[in-house]
Amino acid sequence: MQRDLNIKHRHPLCSILLVLWMPLWPGMVWAQSHEINVGVRLQKSLHLYWENGFTLHYAHTGVLRGDLHAGLTYATSRWGSAWHSNAIRQDQYLLSGTYYFRHEKRWQPFIRANTGYFWADMEEAIFEVLPHQSLLLSAECGIRLRFRTPLRVAPSLGYNFITGDGISGPGTLYPIFYQITMTYAFAF
Amino acid sequence: MPLHFKTLGFIALLWLTTACNLSPDIDDAIDLDGTQIYDPSLAHPEQYLLSYQHPAPTSDQLNLPVAITVHGFSASTWEWDEFCQWSHDRGQLLTSQVLLGGHGIDYQAFKTASWGEWQRPILEEYQRLEAMGYKHLYLAGSSTGATLILELMASGKLAGSQRPESIIMIDPIIIPSNKFLSLVGFVGPIMGFVETPLDEAENGHYYKYRPHEALNQLLRLTDRVRHDLEDDITLPPGTTLTVYKSLRDASADPVSALLLYKGISTSAGKPTVKMVDSDLHVFTYLKGSNNVSEHDKTLQNQTFMEMEAIMHGR
Repeated sequence: MQRDLNIKHRHPLCSILLVLWMPLWPGMVWAQSHEINVGVRLQKSLHLYWENGFTLHYAHTGVLRGDLHAGLTYATSRWGSAWHSNAIRQDQYLLSGTYYFRHEKRWQPFIRANTGYFWADMEEAIFEVLPHQSLLLSAECGIRLRFRTPLRVAPSLGYNFITGDGISGPGTLYPIFYQITMTYAFAF
Repeated sequence: MPLHFKTLGFIALLWLTTACNLSPDIDDAIDLDGTQIYDPSLAHPEQYLLSYQHPAPTSDQLNLPVAITVHGFSASTWEWDEFCQWSHDRGQLLTSQVLLGGHGIDYQAFKTASWGEWQRPILEEYQRLEAMGYKHLYLAGSSTGATLILELMASGKLAGSQRPESIIMIDPIIIPSNKFLSLVGFVGPIMGFVETPLDEAENGHYYKYRPHEALNQLLRLTDRVRHDLEDDITLPPGTTLTVYKSLRDASADPVSALLLYKGISTSAGKPTVKMVDSDLHVFTYLKGSNNVSEHDKTLQNQTFMEMEAIMHGR
C-alpha cells in the first residue's frame, strides 16, 4: 500500500527529515519516483594502484522501472595507493550508466558502461613530456546486494578499453580493475 | 541442452592438457632457446667475468673503477658488449659482464628459473670482486637488470658488503609498456609462451620465446620493486644513482623513471634522471638493431662517456 508522502506543504526541516527517513522503510522506497545512491567506491587496478573515491547514482522509476542508473564517480590514488606513499597521484572522473537485472530482488547482477577523464600528476617538469591524461572507456559487470536497509553493496570486475603504453597514453592506466561500491539509497 | 558436469570436466581437462603441451617451435641451429647455442660466458667466463679474468689482480687494477654490467630479461651478456669493448679500448675502467641466472642456456632453463635465480649471479660476482679487494665497484643495469640491482639494494642483500659507489640504469623497467603483462597470470597458461620478433643479428643472443612462467616472474619482480619504491628505497650514504630512460620505449614504460625518481632517496637527495630522446629499448645497445641512426650512435657514445665520467667521480 502506498502512503501519501507528499511533502510539499510540510515544514522544510520536517521535509528533510522525512526524506532522510523514508528510505529506511523499504516498502516505501519503491513507491517513489526518484532514487539517489550516494557512497564510496574502492577500486584496484590489477597489478597497480588502489584508487578510491565517491560515487553518486540517480534513477527514475519511470525509466526501465528504475533499473537504469546514471552515475558520477571520482576515484583517485590520493585516497588509495598514493596516500602517504610515493605512488603516482592520479584521478579518474567517470560518467556511467548501469543496468540492474532482477528487478527489486536481493541479488541483482548488473552491467555498467563508463566513460570519463584520467589525469596523472607528473610532479616534475622533466616528466611533463610523458603522456599523463586520457579518455576513459570501460565496462563492468558485477552483482549488487540490497539489504533491508537502504544500504547497497556492489562489487564488480571491469575492463578499460583504453590503456596507456607510456608513449601514446598514460603508463599507469591498466586494463583490468575490480571495485566495490557501497552506497546509501535516498528515494523521494 | 544443459552442459553436463562431466562435459565441463572434460573441457577443463582438455584445456589443461593443451595448455601444458604448448611449446615453441625452436630452431636449435639458430635460437638461443635451443640446446646448441649458449651464451659464450658459460664456456669462457674469463672473457666476461672480471673475477675469472684476473685471479690475482695488481694493486693498479684493484684501484680502477669496476663496472658490473647486468643485461635484461631474455637477453644475454651481448647486450653490454658494446660498452665493455668501448671501455676496454679506452682503458679507463674494468668491466665484468654478468649473465643472469636462467638466461643464455635454453628454453627450459628460462622457463623454470625464478627472478631470485636471475639475480644470484649479480650478487655472487659483486661479492667475489669485493673479496678480491676491488675498491671501486659500480653497478650498471639495463632493463630488468636495473630492476634486479634495485631489488638487491632494497632488500639489503648487499648490506654486509662495501657499498657500490654508483648505480647506472639504462631503460629500467618498473612499469611494462605492454599492459597485458598484468594479465599473464590468466592468459599465460592458455598461451604457453610469447614469441618475440628478433632482428637477424639478435638470433642466438636473445631468447625468442618467452614462457609465461618467466613473464610471471618478471611481473612479480616489477610488482615487488614498485611496492618497495612506494615505501621509499634509501641508498647507502655516498652511493649515487643515474637513470637514463628512453622517451619512446616499447618495452619499459617511460613512467618507470618517475617512479624511480619519487621512490629513491640518496644522501644527495634524489637520483639523477635523464629522459633520452630515443625510440629504442636499451638505447645503448645498437649492434643488434637493423635501423640505427646517427642520432642513436651519438646518444650511445655520449652516454658511454657520461658513464665513464661517473665512474671516475667527475
